[in-house]
Amino acid sequence: MKLVGIAGTVEDQSYNRTLLKFIANHCSSMADIEVLDIQDVPMFNQSDDQTESEAVQYLKNKILQADGVILATPEHNHTITAALKSVIEWLSFKIHPLSGKPVMIVGASYYDQGSSRAQLNLRQILESPGVDAVVMPGNEFLLGKVKEAFDEQGNLKDQGTVKFLQETLTKFLKFVKVINKLNARNNPDDWESEDLEAQGEVDTTIKGVDMHAADWVEQAAAKTNAAEGDDYVKLDRGVLTVNQLNWFLNSMPMELTYADENNQFLYYNHQMDADQMLASRTPAQAGNPLADCHPKRAIDHVKQAVNMLRSGKTDLFKLPVPGMGPDKYIMHYYQALHNDQGTYKGINEFVLDLMPIVNYYLKQTGQTLAPDPNAKTDSVSGASANAAAPQQPDGVSGASADTSAPAPKPAAKPEPAVDSVSGASSNS
Amino acid sequence: MHQFIGLVGTNSTNSTNRQLLQYMHNHFADQATIELMEIKDLPMFNKPQDRKIPAKAQAMADKIAKADGVIISTPEYDHSAPAVLMNALEWLSFHIHPFVDKPVMIIGASYGSLGTSRAQAHLRQILDSPELRARIMPSSEFLLGHSLQAFDDDGNLKDEQKAAKLSGLFDDFQTFVEITKKLSNANATTYQEVRDLDWANL
Repeated sequence: MKLVGIAGTVEDQSYNRTLLKFIANHCSSMADIEVLDIQDVPMFNQSDDQTESEAVQYLKNKILQADGVILATPEHNHTITAALKSVIEWLSFKIHPLSGKPVMIVGASYYDQGSSRAQLNLRQILESPGVDAVVMPGNEFLLGKVKEAFDEQGNLKDQGTVKFLQETLTKFLKFVKVINKLNARNNPDDWESEDLEAQGEVDTTIKGVDMHAADWVEQAAAKTNAAEGDDYVKLDRGVLTVNQLNWFLNSMPMELTYADENNQFLYYNHQMDADQMLASRTPAQAGNPLADCHPKRAIDHVKQAVNMLRSGKTDLFKLPVPGMGPDKYIMHYYQALHNDQGTYKGINEFVLDLMPIVNYYLKQTGQTLAPDPNAKTDSVSGASANAAAPQQPDGVSGASADTSAPAPKPAAKPEPAVDSVSGASSNS
Repeated sequence: MHQFIGLVGTNSTNSTNRQLLQYMHNHFADQATIELMEIKDLPMFNKPQDRKIPAKAQAMADKIAKADGVIISTPEYDHSAPAVLMNALEWLSFHIHPFVDKPVMIIGASYGSLGTSRAQAHLRQILDSPELRARIMPSSEFLLGHSLQAFDDDGNLKDEQKAAKLSGLFDDFQTFVEITKKLSNANATTYQEVRDLDWANL
């Protein structure tokens, strides 16, 4: 489960940030919690709309892609900080990423109260129609006398407090599942809107070139005056010529494919001919919409998989694809790509054979494969490709064209059901 | 004649809350002086370790300290006072305490029908906190709903009943300011308490 944590402070040092970091580290086996900063978010001003600023967009994307949010609030003057309130106002003005989002509130304070009044106030704010978050009821976590609460490593000293925190988080994880199930019911077919024909257009789409053309690469390169050969390209972090970049990518011990956020297949590392590849690609396919690259029976699976990556339900899923004989164990990995602001930018599909790695390891350490009598999978032969049908990768559906595994419907991303006039802008 | 500060609770260029204070400034000109104060250009409060307060906040604090009272007009964002107003009050209670024992009247205007009822309750709670400790006029509320339609071309309130209510409340506020002067027995100890307050070293 993916959560984001936001500490409601722009102070250089903050015990609320320490608390969130402790939760993220200490509970990392329970959930993947990323702590976000709000330092760069400007003061909300309805006359100076900065919804599109990098800081606001970054928070929006991270929240949309998370299953739930943990807010840690200080208390200033019996209420939450202006810094946190300003963030919430941006996130309830033109955009509503917190709508329907499960939220847990925690807070720390110097004195006894542990931010009790700020937390109550925050609940009220989060439940306003422009924000429309779903705050977990009860389960207040109030950390008073915070200066004495942590040791030098930033760990909570009191074991009773740690236990209570874990219990609270356990409840929240259940709460997140229930709320997201509730949200999903409103729009179960979100993935069906995934356009594998790539009929849309994104900033980087090369216009005026037929995506289906066998020489799409040549046409697109001519159209964009693309760098090639000995032209230099500045990268993060380094400078290479296009030739060097090709040598480099073609030497990767795996097959790489880039599909953009418009579902257009843009690139693969052309190491060898299609018949020698683990997942065959032909030069003429580059530029095709994803629909062209998959058989009809696989289209729904691909749509679901792409949608899960786009919506952030998962950033990576993996799929074993049998059928190349007992000496190989082919894995297809689908990794979501994001820009610096966290906006979805497409998929890196990488395909490799794990058997050489496994065999090397066994040989070097003098071991052999043996069946695990306690294994819960249907597979009896360990890493062998003779194993039964592919396992469901991390609970998501099979996305590959080559698998016939049944695909459970993924949870759909809820659409904010909020009238834009009821946001922070309604009363000025 | 009383000297009041009219604190505009928003940084928005167009604001019916500013309009409401401008109306009071004009309409009550023969009864009191109301100087409008803007809160727009303060930096985001970050509790600086060096305890340095922006010059603008200090200048605001000095004016508030001198005034007989403060009238705050608040918008309502997300069922509460706007961040920018909360931010001003954070600076105005950070090792400076111009609001302690200061008479305050709360008003507010909103586009919808509720007239900032929840933001006003929120603001009362904030102003009652230990480092602000304002003397908020009790049992009084001025909620101006449908504020975009509330003023005529000259900036006067169209609804006579509303205007009469505001006049009455303003008279009460002037009386409240005088009464508050008599509630002075604890002033010295209150100031001392506030000055000694140091959350980090309680």
